[in-house]
Amino acid sequence: TAGTLVRGLSVLAHLERLETRMHRSRKKLEEPQTVQAEESALVTEIQKLRRLRDKLRAEVKRRQAGVKASTANVEPDQTWEITEQEVLERKWENLKAVLQAYRFTGLSGKLTSRGVCVCISTAFEGNLLDSYFMDLIVQKPLRIHRHSVPVFIPLEELSAKYLETNIQHFLFTLCEYLNAYSGRKYQADRLQSDFAAFLAGPLQRNSLCNLLSFTYKVEPRGQSFPLCARLLYKDLTRTLPTDVTVTYQGMDALSTSWEEQRASQENLFRTKPLHHVFTSFARKGEMLDMSLVS
Amino acid sequence: MQRSSQEFSRGHISAKEMDETVAEFFKRTILKIPMAEMMTILKAWDFLSENQLQTVNFRQRKESLVQDLVLLCEKKRASLNDAAILDIVYTQFHRHQKVWDVFRMSREPGEDIDLFDMEQFKRSFKKILQRALKNVTISFRDAEENAVWIRIAWGSQYRKPNQYRPVYVVYYSQTPYAFTSSSQLRSNIPLLGQALTIASKHHQIMKMDLRSRYLDSLKAIVFKQYNQTFETHNSTTPLHERSLGLDINMDSRIIHENRIEKERVQRVTQETFGYYPQPRLEFAQYKLETKFKSDLNGGILAEREEPLRCLIKFSSPHLLEALKALAPAGIADAPLSPLLTCIPNKGMNYFKIRDK
Repeated sequence: TAGTLVRGLSVLAHLERLETRMHRSRKKLEEPQTVQAEESALVTEIQKLRRLRDKLRAEVKRRQAGVKASTANVEPDQTWEITEQEVLERKWENLKAVLQAYRFTGLSGKLTSRGVCVCISTAFEGNLLDSYFMDLIVQKPLRIHRHSVPVFIPLEELSAKYLETNIQHFLFTLCEYLNAYSGRKYQADRLQSDFAAFLAGPLQRNSLCNLLSFTYKVEPRGQSFPLCARLLYKDLTRTLPTDVTVTYQGMDALSTSWEEQRASQENLFRTKPLHHVFTSFARKGEMLDMSLVS
Repeated sequence: MQRSSQEFSRGHISAKEMDETVAEFFKRTILKIPMAEMMTILKAWDFLSENQLQTVNFRQRKESLVQDLVLLCEKKRASLNDAAILDIVYTQFHRHQKVWDVFRMSREPGEDIDLFDMEQFKRSFKKILQRALKNVTISFRDAEENAVWIRIAWGSQYRKPNQYRPVYVVYYSQTPYAFTSSSQLRSNIPLLGQALTIASKHHQIMKMDLRSRYLDSLKAIVFKQYNQTFETHNSTTPLHERSLGLDINMDSRIIHENRIEKERVQRVTQETFGYYPQPRLEFAQYKLETKFKSDLNGGILAEREEPLRCLIKFSSPHLLEALKALAPAGIADAPLSPLLTCIPNKGMNYFKIRDK
């Protein structure tokens, strides 16, 4: 009974709803002005859309015709695109080349996902020498993640002093150290490779190339006495020695003329790069040969 | 017989015949050299000239060859030092046969610039050892990168140096690191350390917890030379060139279910181990002195108050490459424990772990 009652109620509710709906639709039919207004609005809308459609169709036809006309000489649809792509590609190549060329300034870098990779390119007398890298992670604290700086360069010392407080100073000082080391190494390598004939024994050197010791002759195959040179580079930011000692091998007391020669040799090593000194020896030898011939 | 100035400076001109022990030492050293390397090593030794080597028949039996070579050395008045140098050359070619320890030296900050003089170092080193030990053989051979190989044969107050148990030291000038071959004769290590420290103008020396047969890998680790690929504008090789093995060309019937996870593992592995070949180590050893921690309730070990002492050793022909392969192979989770991945960064493969 309760169930039938509920069912009866829902049926009644349903019938009510149907009734309301019928009233509403009747109302609409009984108001011709609203209906007509709606109708005419819709018609206007349809006309507007048709006009737009026709306009667009015309535009499409026009463009197609225009493109067909210009295809007489070149590929259709792609001319304009190629040019723009070419321009962009050229710009990109140019930019890449500029970024690569920054290496020649000696200090360059590339942004990485975590910071920056700094590149120090060393040079001496216009010769591009080794490059050294440092991966910096930009965090608090700023730190060096890894690097290719040789272990005998005081990187830890420098970074402890300046990395946090004055990164510019840190980088410039490191550049100084590395460039000076590269320059000293270059001079020592040149001496060993190009002027071996002048050396009467192996060139003694160390990792930093800040102590060089060798025995040499001013003339490679001459009768001149061998000299012993000892060059100390106490300033690691310089490529010229701070202390030079030249002695005639096995001779302590010298006559004035010999003493003068010895002193002048010392002065040469103190003021000119090592390989230039030997180049001048070689030139003097050439001049001597020439004078003998003539 | 004509003698060049070279020979004068090399050997001593004592008895006509070579000392028996020296001859024996020569024989045993040359006998060690494999036939295939004989020429190379003798040339590197640079004691017997090309002409002299040509007079020897290298195709005969090894015993006869060795005899001929020893005779040549006798004729040339080769000294104990010359034999020691040959031993160094052999060891340089066979450095993996030794196990190498690493020592780190330090000096007080604010010291003068290190004007390292190799000859002065050698003199000083020799003097310190010879002052302490009457019987000791010390030989030097310069190597590339401004390094020196030192060979030391220890004796005692009353015994001559034992040439068959030498210690080798490799030192790169103006660096704080020295590499020494592990020796059973441990009593002389402090003296060796002292000599190294003073001769190289340092103040302190300590042994690092790093050991391996692969000298070059040890050098790469402490000099931080193992991770040398840097991002530059000039690099043509793309960084992320490694393929996951999930090639497009593979059979389309094969579907990778775990692609996302695989890619994550790959990424984490690359971040940890980088794109470079790992330095070569054979083991990592962890000495634990920690209380046992367990998720399971109970168990015999769970209630111990004392820390558990145990030793865990990971061995491999190439430990770091093996660790790198663990996560991609699915054997371990990525990221790996920092205790494993910190090995090259910290320069350690011996660890002592205690509860904090």
